[in-house]
Amino acid sequence: MTHQTPAPVSTVSVTVNGTRRTFVCEDRTLLVYAIRDNLDLKGTRVGCMNGDCGACTIKLDGQAVKSCLLLAASADGAEIVTLEGIAPPGQLSPLQKAMWEEDAFQCGFCVAGALFAAQELLDTHDDPDEEDIRKALIGNLCRCTGYEYMVEAVKSVARARRQGGTCDSSVD
Amino acid sequence: MTNATNQPGAGDIEPQDGLVSELRRDGDLIMTGAAGYVDDLPLGHVAHAAILRSPHPHARIVAIDVEKVKAARNVLAVLTGDDLVGMVNPLPHLFDPKIFGLPTAEFYALATEKVRWVGEPVAAVAAETLADAERALDLIDVVYEEIPFVTDAVEAMARGAPKVFDHWEDNVLAMFPFEEGDVDAAIAASTHVIKDVISIQRFQAAPMECRGYVGDWTRGGKITIHASTQQPHQVRTKLSVTLGVTEANIRVVQPRVGGSFGLKFHGYQEESLVCLLSRLAGRPVKWLETRAESLLIGAREFRHEFRVGFEPNGRINGVHNRSIGNIGCLSTWGGWSMVYPNGMSFPGPYAIKNYKMESYGVVTNKAPWSGARGYGKESATLVIERIVDLVAKKIGMDAIDVRRVNFIASDQFPYWTRAKHLDSGDYQGALDQVVELSGYHEWRRVQRDRPADGPLLGVGVAFDLTPEGADASSLIRGHDTTTVRVSPNGAVSVLTGVTSSGTGNETSIAALVAREFGVHPSTVSVFQGDTDISPYGFGSFSGRSLVAGGGAGVLAAREIKDKLRTAASVLLEVEPGDVVFSDGQVRSAANPSRAMDFALLCEQIYSTSYVNPGLLEPQLEATCTYRPGNVTMVPDEHGRISPYPCFPYSAHVAVVEIDRETGYPRVIDYSCVHDSGTVISPKLVDSQLNGAIVMGIGGALYESQPFDDKGHPEALTFKQYLLPRATDLPTIRLGTQVTPSPFTLFGAKGAGESGVGGALASVAIAVNDALEPVGVTVHQLPLTPSRILDALLSSDVAR
Ligand code: FES
Ligand code: FES
Repeated sequence: MTHQTPAPVSTVSVTVNGTRRTFVCEDRTLLVYAIRDNLDLKGTRVGCMNGDCGACTIKLDGQAVKSCLLLAASADGAEIVTLEGIAPPGQLSPLQKAMWEEDAFQCGFCVAGALFAAQELLDTHDDPDEEDIRKALIGNLCRCTGYEYMVEAVKSVARARRQGGTCDSSVD
Repeated sequence: MTNATNQPGAGDIEPQDGLVSELRRDGDLIMTGAAGYVDDLPLGHVAHAAILRSPHPHARIVAIDVEKVKAARNVLAVLTGDDLVGMVNPLPHLFDPKIFGLPTAEFYALATEKVRWVGEPVAAVAAETLADAERALDLIDVVYEEIPFVTDAVEAMARGAPKVFDHWEDNVLAMFPFEEGDVDAAIAASTHVIKDVISIQRFQAAPMECRGYVGDWTRGGKITIHASTQQPHQVRTKLSVTLGVTEANIRVVQPRVGGSFGLKFHGYQEESLVCLLSRLAGRPVKWLETRAESLLIGAREFRHEFRVGFEPNGRINGVHNRSIGNIGCLSTWGGWSMVYPNGMSFPGPYAIKNYKMESYGVVTNKAPWSGARGYGKESATLVIERIVDLVAKKIGMDAIDVRRVNFIASDQFPYWTRAKHLDSGDYQGALDQVVELSGYHEWRRVQRDRPADGPLLGVGVAFDLTPEGADASSLIRGHDTTTVRVSPNGAVSVLTGVTSSGTGNETSIAALVAREFGVHPSTVSVFQGDTDISPYGFGSFSGRSLVAGGGAGVLAAREIKDKLRTAASVLLEVEPGDVVFSDGQVRSAANPSRAMDFALLCEQIYSTSYVNPGLLEPQLEATCTYRPGNVTMVPDEHGRISPYPCFPYSAHVAVVEIDRETGYPRVIDYSCVHDSGTVISPKLVDSQLNGAIVMGIGGALYESQPFDDKGHPEALTFKQYLLPRATDLPTIRLGTQVTPSPFTLFGAKGAGESGVGGALASVAIAVNDALEPVGVTVHQLPLTPSRILDALLSSDVAR
């Protein structure tokens, strides 16, 4: 038996989707794996492990970030929202609804990236135009849709907001 | 079981309307993270696999020492090629070249004796965690003896080139010829002749979810494998051969798939490795492909050398094209066979009487090809359309008009070429429509009027004819099978052999079956991708899932409907011919007050058939196979065959702007009109078309897997392998034309692939159109800023 020193571990506490959770993981554990394995939230996905695709996007202390680029231990004390927590259980945010209605996805593997990035845009821009929307999506790769109906979905949320003034933000 | 073949179009779906109005299935699960891809499934106490891969493009394996690994912490199992010999059988090919009378080779799941490409699996380890498994790979000592290698196809064809397979005569795996008329005479007799080349690079499908397999070989001898694959039944059949286990003891489950586009065909080494490692480890073993591993997989690399002879009026007399496909190493993955459709697609939508297409597949020491959306047809489109454009430029005619002169006319269908029986179409109509939609003539005016020192502007037109529904001599077939089961409470289950890689065909199949019974689609459940549940089917490829699986579902539903009709006529006391199914009810057309709920009718049939004469067929279940018509594998008297039943197409206009200083090309406007025959779910079809177009734009401008001079692939992440992003693209304008196929059940032709070739070609043509005023051309894709800048700098005009 080759003897190797066990990797050092940390205890990490986060508020995830509104619930306080504490787990123990190796110091080297990436946040994406902690979310998937320790917290068992599978909506945060691995597409590249290199910060290129956005499939692993979460909201960390109010900001959309790629969880494959962060160590889990660095998130200690943070507030995290994952794909599962964008809307309360059994509900969809206006953007999620619009993505569904506009067929803004096919396989669905990439959707966390688009949902968090576009919501951040909608939260900070009153009336984003097509260029704003495309720029907001720049960090996310989708191989299925060509982004076309994703852009449409974001536009339709912005439009509904202008017209109705109701759905002014995500539900979370 | 009914076997309906060559059934003519039923044609009772309004082709233009589409059937599906409700939201696609499972959108709520996808939006909330509950989709369930292979890596998400709770499959017990799973161990993790990692694969040691060859660092050399060509080397003899002198020795492998795994002793240190066996002793390493948390390692559960280790395998090498030598372990496999005698333990299992070689992997069956997806397409064995020997069925075409070509040279072949035998492969185990891990290399034995020799490695032939960087990345070839050499050893496999299962361990407690992925980190443990990856660390264990470092402890394996392999002694290699490097031997000369070749990565360029033209060099590989030269006399004296290193041979990839010692027992072959040379490195040419295949040359598929497609020929009609006398091309040399036609070109010799032509007023004008052009000779040129265009080359398409190695680029691939790159789905966002890489491949992944979880194998579980239990002590009882049963194997379950969850696989991100397009073809669960074929994974099972081939695993059975490799592992020597009866198919009945193997279950393959395809969970939700995060995109595929051809990358997830069967035939991969890891399919059997996870099973073998699981047997050794006594636990389920999961292997997930890394992005770097996934980017090894090749496709599409062709060099086209062509000659065309034509007249001042635009009439093309003859075309000769020699395509050299660098298929990488042969393997059990089937991608090398893309060489066939690359040739077969010739000469596209044009009535060219004299042509000769020689499509070569040459092996080199690069990683093998697997499938990629377009499957070689996109490559044919690129060269055919480039030829048309060069003809137009030479005679100073608009390329639109050159197409008009050469198109197969709408009254010429069905139309025979050497290896295609074209079903139906209005090619000129589609082109006219896209000219209108894109404002083509307006763009030409903008181009004429632009300031001489402004950005270069080019307009490119392309027409993409896309043979679909491939029926090949292998486990790639055009037909498929579906079971429909109606339960006593009227719930409908559809179990089909076709799968979805994320395209949403389950939504469309449910709509088709629901329509037969006049019930709401929400009462129809669709089951796919589980070999214990679905009938034997061929999965998803070649845009055929809805045509074949949906067609089989409609036939099965109709069989059940006949029984329901007979029973309803007894219970309602009306003539069978008077019974109609709509709105969840079964009623008399003549006297609508005679009606009953669909569910009640089903219940009556199940529970009272023995007391009700006329309800003697108590089982509401049927399995049907549907094979689209128009497939002819036995040559006719002219030696012609048609392995593809359907020929959807799309017409494209791309507008590209090029920065003179940087050479940076940008697609600023894009329009496409497609004809996929009858459309069931218009939005899903359009979304796939958008994806195909963007994949083509990616291939034209960005995506590439280059190799360095040591034979190593250079693009290992998406920082080198550049996929198009939202900001790289304009809004895509789509239009639809519908000419239903006369050879499929409801007139659908298939969707999903058409668009890649059209985008590749229209963008490449647009870039060259933009460069025309400076007197240069570029013909090696991708048309990167550096290639364009080199061309600009070489121009006398530019200087
Ligand atoms: S997995 Fe994190 S960006 Fe791709
Ligand atoms: S929907 Fe498949 S990658 Fe975006």
